Amino acid sequence: MQPFLKEFTKGLWKELPPFRLVLGLCPVLAVTKSADNGLGMGAAVIFVLTLSNLIISLVRHIIPKKVRIACFIAISATLVVAVELLMQAYAYPLYQQLGIFVPLIVVNCLILGRAEAFAAKNPVPLAIADGLGMGMGFAMSLTFIGGLRELLGAGTLFGKYIMWEGFQPFAVMVEAPGAFLCLGLILCAMNAFNHWQARRKGQDAPENPMPGCESCRACSHGK
Amino acid sequence: MSNTSPTSVLLSVSASPFWHCGRTVRAHRYHTLLALLPAVLLAIWHWGLPAARVMALAIVTGVAVEALCQRLMGRELSIDDFSGVVACLLFAFLLPAASPWWLVMLGATLCITLGKMAFGGLGANPLNTSLVGWALLYVSWPVLMDPNAMQLTTQYIDPLVRLKYFGAESVASISLTDLLLGKQIGALGASQTLALLLGGIYLATRGIIRWEISAGFIMGVVVMAAIFHTVNPVQYASPFFHMLTGSTILGAFFLATEPASSPDRQIPMMFYGLLGGAMVIIIRIFGEYTDGVPFAILLVNLLSPLLDSIRPKPFGGK
Repeated sequence: MQPFLKEFTKGLWKELPPFRLVLGLCPVLAVTKSADNGLGMGAAVIFVLTLSNLIISLVRHIIPKKVRIACFIAISATLVVAVELLMQAYAYPLYQQLGIFVPLIVVNCLILGRAEAFAAKNPVPLAIADGLGMGMGFAMSLTFIGGLRELLGAGTLFGKYIMWEGFQPFAVMVEAPGAFLCLGLILCAMNAFNHWQARRKGQDAPENPMPGCESCRACSHGK
Repeated sequence: MSNTSPTSVLLSVSASPFWHCGRTVRAHRYHTLLALLPAVLLAIWHWGLPAARVMALAIVTGVAVEALCQRLMGRELSIDDFSGVVACLLFAFLLPAASPWWLVMLGATLCITLGKMAFGGLGANPLNTSLVGWALLYVSWPVLMDPNAMQLTTQYIDPLVRLKYFGAESVASISLTDLLLGKQIGALGASQTLALLLGGIYLATRGIIRWEISAGFIMGVVVMAAIFHTVNPVQYASPFFHMLTGSTILGAFFLATEPASSPDRQIPMMFYGLLGGAMVIIIRIFGEYTDGVPFAILLVNLLSPLLDSIRPKPFGGK
């Protein structure tokens, strides 16, 4: 139970995908115009990531090393098509909002990154825990950034108007530059918080984690 | 140092440069403020105390935010170099005199935080500090940032709005002297064309700003407008009209020449100015916005690292 819990919780804060690993930024920037969209996208990613981790972990001994990337992509593409069809059937307005970004989950580096760095090396239960944790962290982050942008840019949250009367929405936040601004400021706040926390404990400032780094071999970090 | 004889002198050599011409950031900004002073006075004369209120509010907010940022970042307090004052004053120059207080304060805060301190403070900004705040506000609240919609109690007209929506014929009767004297609706400081021109020429002759950028910018505006005007004088306004309206002069002398966000060598500077000037006319004619100057300058700011790669070949270099 202990390692299972550890793999699950690391995705929720310590290795929060978009803000700590800085992975999967395409949907983070593109579909977070509202908290609804962020949550919908996050749910789709939880589904795909958990199942792709499960399947890849199951077949990890069968896949030849040389063609593993293609196999991972084929598996995640299959799952993404399933999500797309499900979304068209049961959440068509959301599907229309997300548009091209649902099929683009296939090339989201978070999916491939977790497959390569974790699921291909670990047994099934741990892979599921990792996928669930990472997926939930991703959904959480997307909802948070979507909520922030929606709140400042339109004065609403999940479609309900909650700002005071006479509030003039800061419209740039729901435009494309607002996504970059929000992401940058959130990363800045996360780093500042970590440094502050480390200083309070009397430790050195922490480095951001770089999982999957060892498989790339482009620099001295890879082995 | 144990074997040093008591008579020998220890000579230490510090890192280069060894020669300093005595210029400081603060003196640079003093001259800029002096050059902006006529425009400030004229702005108050034309738009009354609301203009003074906007400028004062922007400066006070900007300097306070800069001090706060430097305190939070654990840096030495350097608000006394006046760079924040100049940036916020230039930002205020781009606002209509009737802007609400929160817009001015928010804009000045965004200028200093996102335009300057987020990149590491003075001299590290890739974009013009004043224009970052302006652009964020302009995209968010186009109506509140539009002088034509905000200045309702004036008998002046907005030449660029008229040009955009009623064509070149409707602005043909506007005398250039009126435009030069600031008798036009525009952002509170940017419309004081003559004062800005005098201030800019003062800075250029003192070597505070590089004349190559300003000359290139104005040439870009004039040449591009002249091309369109010659091809079809009925549809496109004259180059002098474009030169004296909107914030062309403010952009040419004060915004495009910001040292951190512009190139460092003569030829890149000229290209930078020319491209910026040409872009102004392109945005004014084909774009959605009536005045293209701020966006044109932001665009060429992004090009300036690229332009900086035009450099002389060192002796013996490849």
